[in-house]
Amino acid sequence: MSRLDATGDPVLTERDDDVTSGAVAFGETAPAASPPPRAATHASRASVREDVDDATTTEAGPADGGAAPSAVSPKAMARGSAPRAARSDRVVRAVGTAALVGVAVTVWLGLWVTPNAVDFGNLVRLLYIHPPLAWVMFIAYGVATFSSLLYLWPRTRHARFDRLAGASAEVGVVFTGLTLVTGSVWGRPTWGVWWTWDPLLTTTALLFVLYLGYLALRKVPGDRETVARRSAIAGLIAFLDVPIVFVSVSWWRSLHQAPTVDVANGHLYVHGSMAWTLALGFVSFTLVYVWLMVHRYRLAVLRDREDDEGLDAALAERWAEGTR
Amino acid sequence: MSGYVEAGYVIALGSLSAYAVSLVVRERAARSRLPQSRGAATGATSTARSGGTGDQA
Repeated sequence: MSRLDATGDPVLTERDDDVTSGAVAFGETAPAASPPPRAATHASRASVREDVDDATTTEAGPADGGAAPSAVSPKAMARGSAPRAARSDRVVRAVGTAALVGVAVTVWLGLWVTPNAVDFGNLVRLLYIHPPLAWVMFIAYGVATFSSLLYLWPRTRHARFDRLAGASAEVGVVFTGLTLVTGSVWGRPTWGVWWTWDPLLTTTALLFVLYLGYLALRKVPGDRETVARRSAIAGLIAFLDVPIVFVSVSWWRSLHQAPTVDVANGHLYVHGSMAWTLALGFVSFTLVYVWLMVHRYRLAVLRDREDDEGLDAALAERWAEGTR
Repeated sequence: MSGYVEAGYVIALGSLSAYAVSLVVRERAARSRLPQSRGAATGATSTARSGGTGDQA
């Protein structure tokens, strides 16, 4: 969100107060006053709304020749944000604990309780982690794409959607890599090879490379808004491969077995304790994804702030030199 | 149990754990690099600094 200082230049305040994302947990306050150089430098970013809690934003101060600081003091800001931060932390801790317990129970059921399968013998136990990892991969890329769309849509353009897209894509790449590795571990004893150019494997590997490229693109230096826009477009392009991966097993009947959970026809190919363990695996790994996302998003917020702090310090130094 | 099954579980859960730890460590490092005046205003931040579980930010 941009404001105008006394000179009419837009001043971006950097407070992120997104409760659901966990950013509120920082509870940090906006600078007491934004010096003119900062306003001028950030003018190009004025079209992108930043996360700002109006109640805790201090207007341009006397240093700008503008109005007096807002009546909301830093102590009052801290009082308001601390309880929300504590609530947010409790929720994140609960999600983390549930994920940990869920994964532990899944491993216990998968390795020691469930029976061997008729066709796959003991190897069926990999079933309880491989499809859930792939499931989270789809969720992560779905969230990244939806966030990219929201960022590109002018009415919803907001820095938080760019951060969400980047965070979700990174977590998605981790899960894609693990999907490929656990699939390979399954393939060696089942098919006799660690890797084969099966359509599902190939399109999944392509997805992995596409999103690695997306993450690399996000590292290319540039104005924050430019980087966010081109990353969002790249994210949409990369997502084109996701539906192909999803339907590749049905389109090309090849080495990879048919999906255990046939979403299209509503059929489940496992039953009893095996089905419950698989379902628990889906839920547990989804919770793991949520927990990882919150922390990755918080890291993105902190790094953005760190960049801004560095910029502020450099500009303040130059400003001081200029006024001597 | 087959060695492949154990290997799959160790790789998957070990990698996820390593990634989760790296996120928490990077998050704390990034927070500590920010000026104290901006982070000291919240109870959550002070909890994290006093040895929280890593969920605080």
